[in-house]
Amino acid sequence: MKTRKIVSVAMAGLMATSAIAACNNKTAGGAKEFSSFFCTAATVEVTDDNEIKKIITEKIGASCKETWLTGQDAGEAIGVLMASGEYPDFINGGDSSKQLYEAGALVAWDDYIDKYPNIKEFYTDYEWDQFRQSDGHIYWMNPFDNIYGEDRTTEHSGEAFWIQVRVLEWAGYPEIRTLDEYFDLLEDYNAENPETPEGATNIPYTILCEDWRYFCLENAPEFLDGYPNDGSCIVDPETETIVDYNTTPTARAYFLKLNEEYHKGIIDPESFTQTYDEYISKLSTGRVLGMVDQWWDFAYTINDIFKSSDTEQYGYNYVPVPITIDGRDNQWYTPGGQLNVSSGIAITTSCKDVEGAFKFIDDLLGQEILDLRNWGVKDTDYYVDADGLYARTDEQVANCADTNYKSTHMCPYSYFPNYSGTSRDGINAMTPSQQPSLFMATLPEPVKACFEAYGAETYVDMLHSVNNAGVWFPMWSYSNNMNTSTDGGTAFTRMGECKHEWLPVVVMSDDFDADWEAYQAAYAETKPEDFIAEMQQELNNRITNYNNFMDAN
Amino acid sequence: MATNFTSYSSPNFDKKLSKREHLKKELPKQGFLLVAAALILIYGIIFYYIPLFGWITAFQNYKPATGFLHSEFIGFKKFQMLFEDKTFWQVFRNTVCMGIINLILHFATAIIFALLLNELRNMVAKKFIQTISYLPHFLSWIIVTAIVHDALSSEGAINELLLNLHIIDKAISFFSVKAYFWPIVALSNVWKETGWNAIIYLAAITSIDPALYEAAEIDGAGRWQKMAYITLPSLKPTIMILLLINIGNVLNAGFEVQYILGNDVIRSVSDTIDIYVLKWGISQFDFSLGTAAGIFKSVVSIIIVFAANYAAKLSGEERLF
Repeated sequence: MKTRKIVSVAMAGLMATSAIAACNNKTAGGAKEFSSFFCTAATVEVTDDNEIKKIITEKIGASCKETWLTGQDAGEAIGVLMASGEYPDFINGGDSSKQLYEAGALVAWDDYIDKYPNIKEFYTDYEWDQFRQSDGHIYWMNPFDNIYGEDRTTEHSGEAFWIQVRVLEWAGYPEIRTLDEYFDLLEDYNAENPETPEGATNIPYTILCEDWRYFCLENAPEFLDGYPNDGSCIVDPETETIVDYNTTPTARAYFLKLNEEYHKGIIDPESFTQTYDEYISKLSTGRVLGMVDQWWDFAYTINDIFKSSDTEQYGYNYVPVPITIDGRDNQWYTPGGQLNVSSGIAITTSCKDVEGAFKFIDDLLGQEILDLRNWGVKDTDYYVDADGLYARTDEQVANCADTNYKSTHMCPYSYFPNYSGTSRDGINAMTPSQQPSLFMATLPEPVKACFEAYGAETYVDMLHSVNNAGVWFPMWSYSNNMNTSTDGGTAFTRMGECKHEWLPVVVMSDDFDADWEAYQAAYAETKPEDFIAEMQQELNNRITNYNNFMDAN
Repeated sequence: MATNFTSYSSPNFDKKLSKREHLKKELPKQGFLLVAAALILIYGIIFYYIPLFGWITAFQNYKPATGFLHSEFIGFKKFQMLFEDKTFWQVFRNTVCMGIINLILHFATAIIFALLLNELRNMVAKKFIQTISYLPHFLSWIIVTAIVHDALSSEGAINELLLNLHIIDKAISFFSVKAYFWPIVALSNVWKETGWNAIIYLAAITSIDPALYEAAEIDGAGRWQKMAYITLPSLKPTIMILLLINIGNVLNAGFEVQYILGNDVIRSVSDTIDIYVLKWGISQFDFSLGTAAGIFKSVVSIIIVFAANYAAKLSGEERLF
């Protein structure tokens, strides 16, 4: 009976993959069509007759049908594909990339990189070397966080404590430096303004905990201690050792604070049961005053909703606040050009036209195509002023925030390699959000006022980021790929299960001390020391590799 | 199965024909039936027996790169891992408990509903209620769980109702209390399936000889008595057979409902064996462990079916085989 379930899951997978396989390298009107699967839910799914997609196809003679994660989690989707042995042409396996490599599903890149100048240019030789797997070959490149030319980062694209600008405005833009100040402000504001300007009840603070997104709950202790986002651990830069942030005094203080606020009714009682969709729909009504999250996890969706529903005026947009547990200096590292070697876009052994697939990636990195992907069509989605600067009219800005327009017209090929930073023309930014004039022009008025009050020009300035992350940064690019085949990986999986189960209990507890003790005992049983040991090994390797490379050059 | 298709010709007549002649005579008559039976047999072999070959993975350290044939053979090690895992016994308990609750409610509600519906004398009302009540069966679990999730959310219909009636003064977070989860699953099942499950009993009721009811009436039996002494006993064989068929499904307590409605807070009561298999077998790529858990579940199910059938045999009730 169990087998039947497995078979039916496998059959469903087969059907999905045969649907993908059916359009493998289909030649339509002379243009190739590749298939792909990305291990994440689509932010916006482009339609089949998307206008810019057609233009790109005409220019480079190939297109790609993008398939996204729906319903399942990433591991399940990749597991089903692996069980079937049939893959789409392109795949981004996310945290399961290493499993795809181990299953022999991916094509090695070493013989191809030199043939394609745009691909070659994407990384330095040292960076390419970081992608080498245990057999010494390269199997993928990461599509994100690559800066071309001068850095123009305007957004804090990483994790932070966020707060609505209306709260800061109400309080007269105070300096918020500690966790206590942050929650005091939320409490004070909510006591006096229990409703949004539109009349809905405020939710002072919510926590997203669904599946892998529970970082919104669990890893704040590392920031509160002033360390950058290494994801799964703290690296002490003095001693170059791994520190477990789950057991620090700061972790206890943070969860105790959450526990107190939960009993005061400040924390959303649905925090631990809400789904990502429910969370996003809460944020988009402007009811949530504050939360911890990654910028990319909420801002792209809800900022556009605020813009198109004309609710920006109420001060619903979020800005990050640089808080730590006791006001100490922090390194809220804004990741501009960090290298995530743990996952990326790969070409599978099922691909019939490997050269064509590499050419497709290479073509997408040409400047003309990058402009189409990032900016859109000239004179339709942006115009060029007398100085050669790209700009958008109010109407163009509104269009590009519209969901329907984004799916039928814009074609970012968002999981294929792309740049931020400065365009090859040396004047413009690669992406509209980093074009200074456009960034300021599209910034909601309340956010502008907030920036002025704090003397900031960008979101990054709000955090006073100290960018001195070590050569090992970010450590999560290793832990993301761990699995139960090693002791450290097994411990990491168990630690995650334990935290998923216990952290909500601790926050909701009526007897915090007792439950915290019970949690710490359960946590110790998962053998976190195995995980820490493996991470320390990786940290040492990274430092050694870097030193060797520097010596050799 | 094939024996059911033998024609009932006179034995004396058969004896006079040789085997070959007999075959010649019977084949054209039974041709269609034989082909149909063969098709079913082939279907069964392809979809139920050939996949069993995959069970070999439970005894290997299976890796997709090495496949079925070249993966390392490790005997019962994966089963040992499974039985030493506390989480496995937790999901096993959850599965058995939810399965039994579902089974009992399935029978109780369907039978009671069929009996009550049968007593309705207004045909229009009866048809109307029957249609309305079995429609939820055709909704997929995805839809049903979305409705349940929405209705039970802190701003959902149930909480609104309870708040407005002043039964509670603060919204109940239904999905963060462990004790509520099994009842929620059970009631969702009842809501979705009662009408559908009642159909078979309603059909069985129509085949009861009306003479029995007439005789009872003459003896002065009222409606309750007719229900208790005629309808219910006449349904007994149907109930027994359905019980035997369904008891093997106890370990199939569900997958979609628990998968979608479960969350981290109540994970320890919501996960079932199927979810465990998905988590460890597929998401963590330990296909061998997943298969071992699946085999264990199948073996237990088979034992339950045989035991129940044997018990039915001992007590002289209707049975499967």
